[in-house]
Parts: sequence; C-alpha cells; structure tokens
Amino acid sequence: MRLQSKDVIFGGKIGLYVVLSAVAVIMVAPFYWMFVTSVSPVQDIVAFPPKWLPSYLVFGHFVEVLNKAPFHFYYMNSLVVAVVSVGCSLFFGLFAGYAFAVYKFPLQNFFFILILSTIMVPFQITLVALYILVAKIGWVDTLWGILAPNFASALGVFLIRQSIKSIPPDLIEAARLDGASEIRIVLTIVAPLIKATLATVGIILFLNSWNDFLWPVIVINSRNLRTIPVGIALFKDPYGSMNYGPLMAATVISTAPMLIVYFFSQKFIVKGIAITGLKG
Amino acid sequence: MSTSLTFSSFKHWFLVSHRRKYFHAYLFIAPIIILFGIFRVYPAIQTLAYSFYNVELLRHRFTFIGMENFFSLLEDKIFMKAILNTLMYVVCIVPISAGIGMILAVILSAKFRFREFFKAVYFSPFITCTVAAAMVWWWLYNPQFGLFNNILELLHLPPQSWLMSSRQALMSIIIFSIWKTLGYNMIIYIAGLQAIPEQYYEAAKIDGANSLVQFFKITIPLLAPTTTFILIYNTILAFQVFDQVFVLTGGGPAYSTTVVVLELYQQAFLKHRFGYASAMAAVLFIVILGITIIQYTISKKREIVY
Repeated sequence: MRLQSKDVIFGGKIGLYVVLSAVAVIMVAPFYWMFVTSVSPVQDIVAFPPKWLPSYLVFGHFVEVLNKAPFHFYYMNSLVVAVVSVGCSLFFGLFAGYAFAVYKFPLQNFFFILILSTIMVPFQITLVALYILVAKIGWVDTLWGILAPNFASALGVFLIRQSIKSIPPDLIEAARLDGASEIRIVLTIVAPLIKATLATVGIILFLNSWNDFLWPVIVINSRNLRTIPVGIALFKDPYGSMNYGPLMAATVISTAPMLIVYFFSQKFIVKGIAITGLKG
Repeated sequence: MSTSLTFSSFKHWFLVSHRRKYFHAYLFIAPIIILFGIFRVYPAIQTLAYSFYNVELLRHRFTFIGMENFFSLLEDKIFMKAILNTLMYVVCIVPISAGIGMILAVILSAKFRFREFFKAVYFSPFITCTVAAAMVWWWLYNPQFGLFNNILELLHLPPQSWLMSSRQALMSIIIFSIWKTLGYNMIIYIAGLQAIPEQYYEAAKIDGANSLVQFFKITIPLLAPTTTFILIYNTILAFQVFDQVFVLTGGGPAYSTTVVVLELYQQAFLKHRFGYASAMAAVLFIVILGITIIQYTISKKREIVY
C-alpha cells in the first residue's frame, strides 16, 4: 500500500509525523543517553530526575578508559582484521565469481552449491572443530586465528558472480582477441565494471568483521590482541560499582566511528543491504 | 547434485575444446574452495563427528563413546532450560520484529519529506556493534539509576528489576533485540514493496477498496515471498543469539536467560568439554534445519505468483 498524504490512516500528515518521530526517539534514545552519560559528571549520572543535558562537560571518563584499557591496540586489531579479511574476500571472490560467471567446467555446479551451502550452515556449528583445528595450526591467540574463517566470503562470491553475469560477453572476448591474459582481464576490465558491487560487498563484510564477537572472544586470550567488541565486553566489571561514565565513554569510542561513517554514507549502506538481503 | 548435472558436466569435459579455460577456472576457484574446505566445511562435518566422541584436547585423546553425549544432554537440566529459553526468544522476536518492520516499511514507502532521514534513523541500531549497544542497554536497564526506571518513576509507575529478575530478564533481552533488528526487516520489506506492481493498487482504488483493505488484500499476500525470507533468516539468526546475552546477563539470573550458543560456548571453552559441546552444536543444527524446512514448505504452499 502506497500511502498518499491524503490517506487518513494516522489522521493525516501530522499524525504520520508524530508516530514516526515517536519511533525515531525510541530508536535514538540509547545512543543519546550513551553520549550524555559519557560526558556527564558523576553526580549527574546518578541524578533523579535524569539530567537530559550534562550540567557541565566532563572528559575525564574518556581519559580513565584510555588509561585503563589499551583501546589503541583494540582499534588496530579490529582494523587489521577487517582490512585483511575484506581485502582477501574481495580478491578471491573476484576471481572465483569470474570463473563461475564466465567459464563452463566440470563440477561447476557442485562447487558453486558447496560454497553457497556455507551461507546456510550457521557458523556456530563449526566452532568446536574450528577451534581444535586452529589450535593445531598454532593460531590460537593470534590475529591469524581470528582471520582463519574470514579469508573468503560465500556471499561475496555469489554477488560478484551475479554482477559479472551482466557484463556483455563481447567485451571479454574482445579483450581476449587483443591478447590480454585472463588474470589481466579480471583485474583491469571486469573489476572496474563491477565497482559498485565490490564496494557494497566490501562495506557489508567490513561491518560484519568490525562487529564480530563470538569467534574473537574464543580465539584471543591476550589483552593486547583483543578486538574492539571483545575489549568492551571484558571492560565491564560484572560486579562493578557505578562506573557507568567510563563504560559509556568506552562504548562511544567504539561506536562513534561507525556511526559517523554511517551518517555520511547511509543511503549507500542501506541500499547495499537491501540489494544483497543477507549479511556475511 | 542430480545425476543429470554430473552427466552434462562430463559431456562438457569431452566436448569443449578450450582446455585452457579449465586451467584458469580451477586456478581461480582454488583459493576459495581450499579456504572454505579447510575453515568452513571440514569443521562443520568434524564438529558433528566429535559429538560422538569424548574429546580431551590437552592429552590429544579422542575416545568414541557413541550416543552418550546426546543421552547426557537429555538429562542436562541447564541445557533443556537453554533450549526452552532459545525457543521462547525465537518465538517472541521473529514475529514481532518482522511485524513492526513491515508496518514501518509500508508507512515509509509513501512519499513525504524526511522519509530518508527516518529510514536512516530506524536502521542505525542494526549497523552498531551488538556488544557495544548491549552495553548501553545494560546501563539503561540498571534498576537504581538506569534511564528506564527513571522514566517510569517520572510517570509515577512502579520501577522494574529488568535484568536482575529471573522473570523479566529474558523479556528485557528480547526488547533489546527487537530494537536492534527492526531496521533490517524494515529495509528488506521496503525492497519487497517496491517490487509490487502499482496497477494492483490502482485497480483496487477503482473498485473502491480503502487503505486497510488494500493492506490486507494486496500488500500482505504479495509480500509473502519477502515474509518467507525474513522469517527464515530471522529464525536462523535468532537461534544463534549470543552477544547480547553474554553482555546483558551472562545467562543469569538462575539460568533464566541462558541460551544454546552460550551453553555451547561455556561447555567448550570454559569447561573444555568439546565432545559434549559438539553434541549441542549437532542438536542446534538439526533444530535450525528442521524449522527452516518446515517454514519453507508451509510458505511455498501459500505463495502467490504475480
């Protein structure tokens, strides 16, 4: 149903905006309260009625967080893992997607279904054996361990293949007649033509990697090798006192970059996820 | 794999003369096949195999014990609680999140000012790290100083104990998860709505159908394929819930919020009972597979082609 402004389901346009704004307030309130708490003095944080704006700005919570936990390491680790896994997934996915889209070869369907089946089988089901395998390789408590299951993405292969299928075959044939090698065709002709797909897949994989928690918390033991989600989860002292200021400062430090990136590229991200449907 | 596909593949092998292409084809898919084989397919099969073993990792000892892990699971009260909690979580969150997502999508597919703004705001929890967002909600749920109880007090309503009470904790986690996943379902429904041809609505209008009738007679039936996808996808994800439970309650109080993956995590990586945890993974796999197949068959029967 396409609602027209003259539709009266919510008592007209004003009603519509009231409902939408109310939902928007609920969706944003946690973020707002996170920011307010992170810069409020302690007496404000525990005040009743709640102080919707801090009486004065305090940045001590941020200083305390950075002194207490090596967040610069957490950032580096998260970034290294995300960049390497996105880079490898795109690179391998580009070549595999090209092979599945352009070539015909024995067992093609078998391999393609094999790759797609890894989307349907939940990652959690592989955990135990994956850990034992990674332990045997000697990658426990290393960034390699976090990366192990993330070097390639089935969703990436699938989307890239779909995208390459829409390229006119004549284009590739012409390049072959010019004597370009297959590897060169993939890198210099195909890749630039499917830039948008590569960017979409890249952003989705980056988000997944950045927010991933279960596997990193299993593989990593050393404090300095934690990624951001592991870092904040273990920053919380379960029997902790009223250290909510620093805790919210820590969540601001870890979510602000993503929220800022999202703010500037939300149309692109939303569209990307709508097109691909799935994540990871 | 059907036999005809394999046969046609063999025919290609003999008929197609471009052997050079095979070399490149296998070269290009080799990295993915090897990586997936090692880190995805092998561990999945191996975990299922481990469920029949007693695994002592430090001693490198793997003892075959048949179905014993599964028999122990049946008597494990905490695991049964975890299954019940997970089912409760799935049954609550999937329809509510999908339903609200659909309503918001319908509203947001009208054309008005700030539409994109609202879309972006509703979607923002989904792109935020679950662990960080759950941490914020942990603070909001604080019974003494948290925002929720403060607001209740301002409204002269009795304060709640939220995560501290074994009765409310699971509901509190579900509310968090609805907030977190709502935007995703909305976006998928918006994409689904755009695929419905405009003529249906025009025809309905000529027949004098009002907005509500259009919604129930056109929108909901024609969105069925989208709904199928959303229900299956959300169900699979909901069965895997872990991050928010880990942060908000750690499974407590009194195991009232423990879920299957949290149990699996604790048995395997805190108690080092790898075989036992594998049996849990096997159960989870069978449950997810079963429910997906049931949902798929039911919705196939109801699907409308347009």
